[in-house]
Amino acid sequence: MRLLRAELDKLRRPLTWAVAGAAIVFCVLLAAGGAHNAVGSAGAATVARQLSPAAAGAEAAGLLASLPGALAIALLAGGHLGGEWSGRTMKNLLTQQGRRWAVLAAKLASLWLAGVALLAACWLALAAAGPVLSRLEHLPAAHQPVSQALSLALSQLGRALLVLAMFAAIGMLSAALTRNTIGTMATTAGVFIGMLLAASWPGVGRWSPATWVQSWMRFPAGLSSVTSLPTNFWSRFISASGGAPGQLAGLAGLLVLLAVCLAVTVRIFSRADVSG
Amino acid sequence: MSEIIRCEGLTKRYRHTVAVAGLDLSVQAGQVFGFLGRNGAGKTTTMRMLLGLIRPTSGQAWLNGRRIPDPGGLARVGAMIEEPAFYPWLTGRRNMEILARSGPPLPAARPGAVTTALRRVGLDEVAGHKVKTYSQGMRQRLGLAVALLRQPPLLLLDEPANGMDPAGIREFRHLLRSLAGTGMTVFLSSHLLAEVEQVCDQVAVLHDGRLIEQGRVAELAARRAQVRVVLRPVDQPAAQRLLAAWATRADGTDTLLVDTADGRQVNEVLGRGGIWADQISVQRTGLEETFLAMTGTGPAEAAHAPAPC
Repeated sequence: MRLLRAELDKLRRPLTWAVAGAAIVFCVLLAAGGAHNAVGSAGAATVARQLSPAAAGAEAAGLLASLPGALAIALLAGGHLGGEWSGRTMKNLLTQQGRRWAVLAAKLASLWLAGVALLAACWLALAAAGPVLSRLEHLPAAHQPVSQALSLALSQLGRALLVLAMFAAIGMLSAALTRNTIGTMATTAGVFIGMLLAASWPGVGRWSPATWVQSWMRFPAGLSSVTSLPTNFWSRFISASGGAPGQLAGLAGLLVLLAVCLAVTVRIFSRADVSG
Repeated sequence: MSEIIRCEGLTKRYRHTVAVAGLDLSVQAGQVFGFLGRNGAGKTTTMRMLLGLIRPTSGQAWLNGRRIPDPGGLARVGAMIEEPAFYPWLTGRRNMEILARSGPPLPAARPGAVTTALRRVGLDEVAGHKVKTYSQGMRQRLGLAVALLRQPPLLLLDEPANGMDPAGIREFRHLLRSLAGTGMTVFLSSHLLAEVEQVCDQVAVLHDGRLIEQGRVAELAARRAQVRVVLRPVDQPAAQRLLAAWATRADGTDTLLVDTADGRQVNEVLGRGGIWADQISVQRTGLEETFLAMTGTGPAEAAHAPAPC
C-alpha cells in the first residue's frame, strides 16, 4: 500500500490535471451539442433523460470506457510509466524497490485508479452541467425514476471498471515495450485505434477486443449519427455487419486480454536492463 | 574486516561489446573505495549489475554477504548512479518522501530520516522548492540525500561530485570521510582523481571492462615511483650494469631513472660497486599519473583523450 500511495502521489502532476480537464471539457461540450441538436426532435426526451444527474453516470462510464477514456489512459500511461524511463527516474525507483512485480502492480493499480477518478470527475461535471443544459435548451422533463437511472449508471460504471483496467494494462505493456513517454502514448493510442479498425474487418471483427468492449459495455451497434447525444465513442467506428459476441464472450475476451497483457508486461519488465 | 562487495567473474556482454569482462573484485567493509576507469571502462555497468538494474551475462556477485539479485537487500544499500533524476514537478522533499515510501519502511526510530538526510547534504533550506528549479549540483546533493535516506552500511556512488562547485566538492569530501568514520563503506567512482586520492583508502582500476589494478592508493602510486640518480657521465654505463635488477633508462648523460621506490637500496648497490652518486631522489607519482600509465594513456595521448572516470 505504501508503494501504491507513492505512485498515486506521482500522478498528482500537471499532465493528470490537463488530461482530466480535457476529458471534462469534452464530456460537457458533447452534452451541450447533444442537448442543442435534440431541441424539437423526437429524441429530446431521451437526451433529457441522459442528462439527468443520476443517468449522467452511465454517460460518463460510456465515454470513459470508449475512445476518450482510452486516449486519456494512453496519455497517463505515457507519463506514469514511459516517463520513468525517459525521465531516467526508473533507476531511482528500482534501487529503492527491487521487486519489479510490486512496482508494476502499483503502477497498474494507480493508473486504473486515475481512470476511475477521471470517470467520477466526468460524472460530477455532467451531473452539474446536464440539468443546466436541459433548462437552457428547454428540453422536456426527464420522466425517469432516480433509482432506475442510478441503477443503469452503476451497472455501466461497474462494467467500465473492467474496460479501464484493460486500457491500463495495454498502456503498461506499451510502456514496457517502448520505454519512453511519447512511444508509450503513441503505441497505446495506436493499439486502440488498431482494435477499432480490426473490428470492422469481415470475419475478424468478432475476435477483436473492440467488439468485446462493445458487447461487455452493451453499447448499441452501428451508432452513426453525431447529432444526438452518444452513449459512447466506440460503436460508431465499428461496422454493424456480422454477429457480435454476447456479453459473457465479451467479458471472457477482456479478461483473457487483461491477463495476457499483464503476463507479457511482467515478463518484459522483470528482465529489462535499466541502463538509461 | 568483513567483505562487503564481492564479484566473481562478473561479465556483461551486449551484442558485439563486452562491457565488463570477468571482473573479480573484493571490497572490505568500512573503506572509502575508489573505482576508476576511463569512459566506457565498465564502471557504471558494474554498479548497475550490483544494484540489480541490469542482469549480468555471467558471473556472480555478493553485496553485504548476500548474492545478487537480492531485491530485499537493497534496503541496506544506498545508491546514486550517474546524474540523479527526479520528478521535476515535485519539491525535493516530496521526491525524497516518495522514494522513501517506494522502498521498505524506514525504521520507526528514524521518523525524521528525510529531514536528516536533506540537512546532511545541505539542502534543507531549499527542500520545499520544485526540483525543476535546482541546479545540477543541487540535484547531485539530492541524489546523495536519497542514497543516505536509510543510513545503509554500503553506499554506491557513481560520479557523485559532478556539477558541484569547489566548495561543494570540499564539503562532499568531508562528508565521505565522516561517513567512513561511522563505519559506512563507500564505493565511489569519480572523474576527480585528486579527490579520489584524498578520500579513498583503496582503488581499483578498470580498463576495457577488465580489472587491471587494485590496492591502496599509496601502494599503487609507489609501484610507479622512480629513483632519480644523478652521477658523472663516465659512470653511467657501469651504474646501469649494477642496477640491472630494475628497469633503468638514461635521462640525459648524467641521470638515470630506476623503476623502484627504494632509493636506499639503489644507493647501497651503487656504493658496493664503487660508484658514488651526486644525488639520489625518489620521485613519487600522483594517482593521476599512475592512472594514465595504467590505462595506457601517456601524457601526450592524455591531452587528446577523453577525461578518465
